Amino acid sequence: MSNAHSKTQAATPAGQKDRRRDHMPLVRHAILIGWALIIMFPIFWMLQTSFKDSGEWVTWPPNWLPQDPTLKNYQQIFTFDVSGSGVAREATDQPFSIWGSLRDSLIICTLSSLIALFMGTFLAYSISRFNVGGKKFRHMVLLVRMIPPIVIAIPLLMYYAVLIPFATEAVFGARISLFDTRIGMSILYLTVTLPFVIWMMLSFVDEVPYTLEHAARIMGAGRMYTLRKVVLPLVASGMVVTFLFVFILNWAEFLLALTLTHPDVSTLPVLLNKFQSASEGRLYGPQAAIGTVITIPVVILGIAIQKHLVKGFSFGMLRR
Amino acid sequence: MARIGIKNLVKEFGSFTAVKGINLEINDGEFLIMVGPSGCGKTTTLNMISGLVMPSSGEISIGENDVTHTEPGERGLGMVFQDLALFPHMSVFENIAFGLRVKNTSEQEVKDRVQQAAEAMHIEQLLSKRPGQCSGGEAQRVALARTIVTNPSVYLMDEPLSSLDAKLRIDMRTELKGLHERLSGTFVYVTHDQAEAMTMADRIVVMNGGEIEQLGGPLDIYRKPATRFVAGFFGMPTMNFLDGEIAAVDGAPMFVTDGIKAPLEGDLPANLSGRKATLGVRSEHVLATEAENGGKVSLIEPLGDATLVYFDYGGPTRLVSKVDPDRLFAPGDDLTFAFDANNCHLFDADNGARLN
Amino acid sequence: MADVTLKAAAEPAVTKGALSRFGAWLSQERVFRWIPFVLVEGTFILVIIIPFLLTIYISFLRWRANRPFEQAQLSGFRNYEQVLTDAGFWASLGRTFYFAGTAVIFELVIGFFLAMLVHRVVRGRRIYITLFLIPMMVVPVVAGYNFSMIYLDSGPLNQLLSPFTNMLGINPRIRWLSDPTAAQLAIIIADIWQWTSLTFLIFLSGFSSLPPQLINAARVLGANKRQIFFWIELPLLKPAIVIAVVIRSMEALKLFDPVVLLTFGGPGTSTQTIAYYLWEQVWQFNKYSFGAAASILLLILFSVLIFVGIWLLIRQRNQFEQQQETAT
Repeated sequence: MSNAHSKTQAATPAGQKDRRRDHMPLVRHAILIGWALIIMFPIFWMLQTSFKDSGEWVTWPPNWLPQDPTLKNYQQIFTFDVSGSGVAREATDQPFSIWGSLRDSLIICTLSSLIALFMGTFLAYSISRFNVGGKKFRHMVLLVRMIPPIVIAIPLLMYYAVLIPFATEAVFGARISLFDTRIGMSILYLTVTLPFVIWMMLSFVDEVPYTLEHAARIMGAGRMYTLRKVVLPLVASGMVVTFLFVFILNWAEFLLALTLTHPDVSTLPVLLNKFQSASEGRLYGPQAAIGTVITIPVVILGIAIQKHLVKGFSFGMLRR
Repeated sequence: MARIGIKNLVKEFGSFTAVKGINLEINDGEFLIMVGPSGCGKTTTLNMISGLVMPSSGEISIGENDVTHTEPGERGLGMVFQDLALFPHMSVFENIAFGLRVKNTSEQEVKDRVQQAAEAMHIEQLLSKRPGQCSGGEAQRVALARTIVTNPSVYLMDEPLSSLDAKLRIDMRTELKGLHERLSGTFVYVTHDQAEAMTMADRIVVMNGGEIEQLGGPLDIYRKPATRFVAGFFGMPTMNFLDGEIAAVDGAPMFVTDGIKAPLEGDLPANLSGRKATLGVRSEHVLATEAENGGKVSLIEPLGDATLVYFDYGGPTRLVSKVDPDRLFAPGDDLTFAFDANNCHLFDADNGARLN
Repeated sequence: MADVTLKAAAEPAVTKGALSRFGAWLSQERVFRWIPFVLVEGTFILVIIIPFLLTIYISFLRWRANRPFEQAQLSGFRNYEQVLTDAGFWASLGRTFYFAGTAVIFELVIGFFLAMLVHRVVRGRRIYITLFLIPMMVVPVVAGYNFSMIYLDSGPLNQLLSPFTNMLGINPRIRWLSDPTAAQLAIIIADIWQWTSLTFLIFLSGFSSLPPQLINAARVLGANKRQIFFWIELPLLKPAIVIAVVIRSMEALKLFDPVVLLTFGGPGTSTQTIAYYLWEQVWQFNKYSFGAAASILLLILFSVLIFVGIWLLIRQRNQFEQQQETAT
């Protein structure tokens, strides 16, 4: 009965089996391994730098592996004590714990992705089953996603920093600003990722045959009962995938976070960028450690939802 | 008790009218089959009876109640869908129990009734499996068990056998007919397969273009099709059709076309002489005997119990005759043929209505 | 739930409070189905539309951030004039298209080639796919940082090149990001590194949806590999190609992160993209009404591109789905 799912996936390997054995598999593998090396090199370089002590960060010629591997960089970024007394370092002895940013990033990304997931899923259901908003609505949603973020950031800066404080002062008598707040960032991320959620969930909801709902209704189940017992269990895995996808997008977002937060809230990408321009010289090691900490979880999550990535990035245009 | 009454039922989808005002009375305990080509409105009609589709106008009643605006779950129906619509994330047991759970049935009763339904469909051993692990025939039985467990008075079936392979489909026909006799409910069954309709139905509704072409018993429809469409829809191979006109030769009515002369018998209305018409003759009524019409054999299809002989007679079409398998023909042979005058169907050339 | 609430709605509501009557009205099906729509539309209006209306207003003001907003005066189309006659605006816009165009072409070619190769690989296919997809999961800021390490004058790139530079007698410690052309190249390369993953993924998806029976049929009819590729595979891949072009182009025009991480728009203005340029104008120089006008102008410009892009996507999507239907 799950042929709606299996049918789309079963076709993939069939084409390869009857493919004739090529006479150039070696060349092919050589090219592919070459590309793999190119791809992995920057990541490798970050990883090994994160284990180097300050003397080794910049040397000529550079060392490809740390001579004296150390965890100091990680200790430094994970230090709770912001006064810097934890690990004594000469030139680089300054507070740069990532806990604050980690907390901000986690709160903002989780909150916005969850709310976007629920709003988007129910809207996708409404669009799929009742054609709510008409045919054009699906496409209008795309528009929001394609606007360059800088074009959104400028209005939002003025909106968050000027209009909302202005309006709240007039109405409530207190200036409330959404600029540089977690809630402000969450609302923004929620909005810009909604199109992804809607399109991804549309492709999952469309795969649930509507006759299942008809069958449930004939047997006397109400709308809500049908949604809860029939539709939601069948799109649950799709919801997980969509959540992870949107979470990764938000986790990586830089421009909006850079422009709409400072100094209180800072997400991890913004934190990493802060060290890039540090006037006392760049802190390559801790940066590498931060980079590793930011990257590893999303790469693992990304590999977990690998099969569905194309669906997300192509707005559900491509299924596999 | 479970009579179904349909009055002036209309369904429009935008500018397209899928069902154009049909009237139908379905008797209690009847096995009624709606048949027609795809897009003829049969499934839409069934969905309106079920309540899944709201009619644009018209009334539907089940028993004494007008159910036109009742929720599907409150109409007391059971339905089997074309794709069976088994819930893939639930076990077979839970699938069957769904209709009971919705109505907050006690756990013990759920168990008992699911067990009964499973026994009735011989699927006790499947209860703990998932629908995805069942074969086509097993899934079919699960869908039926899920329908009978709530004891509905009306069973709606939307091409339920179309997902099965040919052999299983024929076995299932017999089983469904047996099930109908055991359950004594009203069955409304939709299919596009005329053979399915012929074998199972008490009465058949033939639909085309959103309208009812004919309503009647299987043999009535086979023997006296009301329109050219019905005549062409039922029977394998398709009925032979010849366009021509009716003439009176020596006072006897005669159908004339392209060198063929076919005498007509039975009660014909008067004043048909000179009228353009279509003659329909089933293959078994094209008799390859000594006669004045001649043709040349072009193709032979042995069926085992009979042989189909296709031949050219000089007109624009090719005729087919069903002959005894012992009579051997070969392509290129000449043959002479006549039509069984008692089994000729005459249809109006313009609107396809039956003339005799 | 629907049954229950329908009944509730049918009961006489005279004795009930306005709130519960509203609740009953809400849970009717014809109303209920619109709730998510209203929520999402409301969010878009609150977070996108209203800010844009405000921005249109501000774009007609004479206002810098260091002065109170309330005292700003209307200035007509002055800001628009300024933007349209601003050399930096046009230069950075042109540069953005140049970067995006160059990077996307390379991404398409490399991605297509890789997808074609991986599609033919039988053993180790999954490993290649997993590896090749990693770059696009790397946070762009981290990717920018990684490349900044590689481009260091004492970085691994110079080390790898040192045999050649020694041979030519050049100082091997080339400062890649201090040369305008090299810096532009550096940004393009970083973009290619990260986003070839996506084009690869889209093309791979296209390749694996090619109906094998069609290719077998062509082979039986005597077509050679070249003919099969150009006459059958390539036309069938057209939807995937268009989708890749549209999606990557739209994304590449947003280019910002590697610029900040690698060059800060420099040396000079040689790597300023439009996003970077406006960021600098608004966030560094506080030219708010200038930024507002530029933002509106950009939105208009991009709307045209976006509409063309969406139109192309929808067309290809329909074609692609028909294709997949016939394939199965």
